[in-house]
Amino acid sequence: MVNEFIKLEGTSLESLIRTMDDSLAEVLRDESRNSGRAESVSFPKNEEEVLAVLAFCRSQGISITVQGARTGLAAAAVPYGGHVLNCSKMNQVMGCRQDEQGRFILTCQPGVILSEFKKAIDQKNFRTTHWSEASQGSFEKFRKAERQFFPPDPTEASATIGGMAACNASGARTFAYQSMRAHVDRVRMVLTTGKIVDVRRGQAKANGRSLELSLLPEGRLMLDLPTYQMPKTKNAAGYYVEDDMDAVDLLVGSDGTLGVMTEIDCILIPHPAFIWGVSCFFPGEQEAVDFVIAARRQVAGLVALESFDGNALQLLREQRLRSSAFSRLPHVPEDYGYCIYAELHGSEEGRMLEALKRLGELAEGAGGNPESTWVARNEADLALLQFFRHAVPESTNLLIDRRKQVCPVITKLSTDMSVPDDKLRDVIALYRRGLAEVGLESAAWGHIGNNHIHVNLLPRDEDEFGRGKALYQRWAEAVVAMGGAVAAEHGIGKTKVAMLRSMYGEKHIQEMRAVKKAFDPLQLLGQGNLFPVEGGAQQ
Amino acid sequence: MDPVTNTIIRDGKQSVINPYDRFALELALQIKERLGGSVVVVSMGIPATARILKEALSCGADEAVLLSDRAFAGADTLATSYTLQLGIRKMEQRLGKFDLVLCGRMAIDGDTAQIGPELAEQLGIPHITDVEELLEVSQERLVCCRLADGERQKVSAPFPVLLTVNKDINQPRLPNIKGVLWAETAPLHLWNAAEVGADLKRCGLTGSPTQVVRTHVPLREQECKVLQGSVVEQLKVLQRLLKGED
Repeated sequence: MVNEFIKLEGTSLESLIRTMDDSLAEVLRDESRNSGRAESVSFPKNEEEVLAVLAFCRSQGISITVQGARTGLAAAAVPYGGHVLNCSKMNQVMGCRQDEQGRFILTCQPGVILSEFKKAIDQKNFRTTHWSEASQGSFEKFRKAERQFFPPDPTEASATIGGMAACNASGARTFAYQSMRAHVDRVRMVLTTGKIVDVRRGQAKANGRSLELSLLPEGRLMLDLPTYQMPKTKNAAGYYVEDDMDAVDLLVGSDGTLGVMTEIDCILIPHPAFIWGVSCFFPGEQEAVDFVIAARRQVAGLVALESFDGNALQLLREQRLRSSAFSRLPHVPEDYGYCIYAELHGSEEGRMLEALKRLGELAEGAGGNPESTWVARNEADLALLQFFRHAVPESTNLLIDRRKQVCPVITKLSTDMSVPDDKLRDVIALYRRGLAEVGLESAAWGHIGNNHIHVNLLPRDEDEFGRGKALYQRWAEAVVAMGGAVAAEHGIGKTKVAMLRSMYGEKHIQEMRAVKKAFDPLQLLGQGNLFPVEGGAQQ
Repeated sequence: MDPVTNTIIRDGKQSVINPYDRFALELALQIKERLGGSVVVVSMGIPATARILKEALSCGADEAVLLSDRAFAGADTLATSYTLQLGIRKMEQRLGKFDLVLCGRMAIDGDTAQIGPELAEQLGIPHITDVEELLEVSQERLVCCRLADGERQKVSAPFPVLLTVNKDINQPRLPNIKGVLWAETAPLHLWNAAEVGADLKRCGLTGSPTQVVRTHVPLREQECKVLQGSVVEQLKVLQRLLKGED
């Protein structure tokens, strides 16, 4: 295959498609800590180059794995051979418009990094030189408008907009603002056939479960959408389908299996006048869960409810002493056994204070103490609490990396499952029972407001790793029985293919595969994502 | 910076407690927790500065004083320290003499570090600058470590004394819910020039010998260039750049 590329001398593809070598090894891995293999890599800068790469791969029958910043946790960006199409150089914001409701919408290339995007929105500072006249006109209005806000907030702010759209990323604020899907107005996607799908929300809707899509430059795609009912929970497992659905919703969350997104239109909303973060500490899990259940019903302006269990807090205490990089973490007293982070957004300070007071009352009612809280009301303090939140997964990653040096086969096993509201206590009991039975070290944190807790199993050796994987699979089956989702925000990628099958069953998996085949007839894209590789063993 | 008025543009920016002052506040709160007493926070500014003082109250300060008057506008460090001194003296009439006045080492907006020493002179008390560790403190005196020209200097002083503190002398606390709610109704004294008996010739722009003649934003003359291509290609480009050929 390498030789095939060498034959391309004299074409522009020669500089675009590079043969894999050690200097490019990082494209073989992602944040899931899995690694794969590939024969070649490209870093296209625009749609034309994406089309050229796809045309070449199609002509040679080479599989393609699409990547953003490789911050995903389900190995969707890890290649199973073939070509890696890395979108990190497609990192421009390409235009601005206002929709009928007056909302500002920014067109992003897939490689735009979330933190930079948010900074540019905040500073109202974009490189507009190459924008159309209409875009520049809208941008002038944007500059004069009130401060704007892009709500999706995955913990990893170095994620790309394309990666977030591919796995329908969410984060703490999904509790109020929903996941990435709700903030995408338009997707432009290049297919491996060389055709382009360009759909704006509201323009292409399914009739029941039949969806017809126009292709560019010509043609149509007729789809029979899968017939399953999605769980009534936060969900990023498999293709999004429902009766009379919008086509945009199918493309968002398709895990790099249908096409390469080249433009994503992101919807902005006015920035909240007040953003306050409150960390509430409790003696234990029971008190914290009582607080969550009460708070999500009774507190106005609540946009996030995040949890950190006692083990996660202990990891932070140790990491704070171990590494100077974590020394600015606030000290967590030993008697703080569980933490719930609540975030409030609002337009009036008086109402914010009322909500804060209510949080304090509920914390006290649940067995906490309004004095055992941290309140952040300015950007610096909020950044400190975000650092605290981010430090938990970082600490577990560092712990696993140390253990990996002794036992290279292990990885962190991080669950990403959600259940309906009335099953929160049940799922926590399930996790605690399983952990006690198997005797594995763990740390749990996550989006408890959405009944979506990441239980991280921290194996020390191969035996514990095997027991952890078995436990995870058992939990997945139990979560499905509760009406939950096996992947709530990280997507299915490659690591949860078996769980997707547990969730939907073989018939629906085949319905999903039929959708993929309609978009990607040669099944070149995202091999191993969502579906097992046909005729080949998974890595 | 506003190039015309030579003043800092603060519109649209959320005002926060000067970060160095948070270290000073935290030190005051820690001493109070060990030895008792009370903590009063004092600032000079527009009425909206009350929000910042409430933040200090929510962290554990007992009372706050805001000195606010049009006559104070445009003050340099000398006029500011004169005004702050008046607020402290007025508060002392009710609470008795303060033992310890704590200031942040410097302001991070105007980058001035004169307020602390000038305030000590106005109050007629000794001062120790750049304190980076409090070694001992009792009801009568304190021993601290200050950073002086890269050296650590151990200094002992009886009360009353004024300290300016460096960053990282401690880890400032975040307020809790109870503190935030209490701060909304906590004692916050808003005093104007007449109420503190200010000599208007020593206040604001009139009382400021410092004149900002010109400001400018330094030009960024460094350029970042990302080399692309294979390692060999990158090395060739780098070689040309180092030789000044590109």
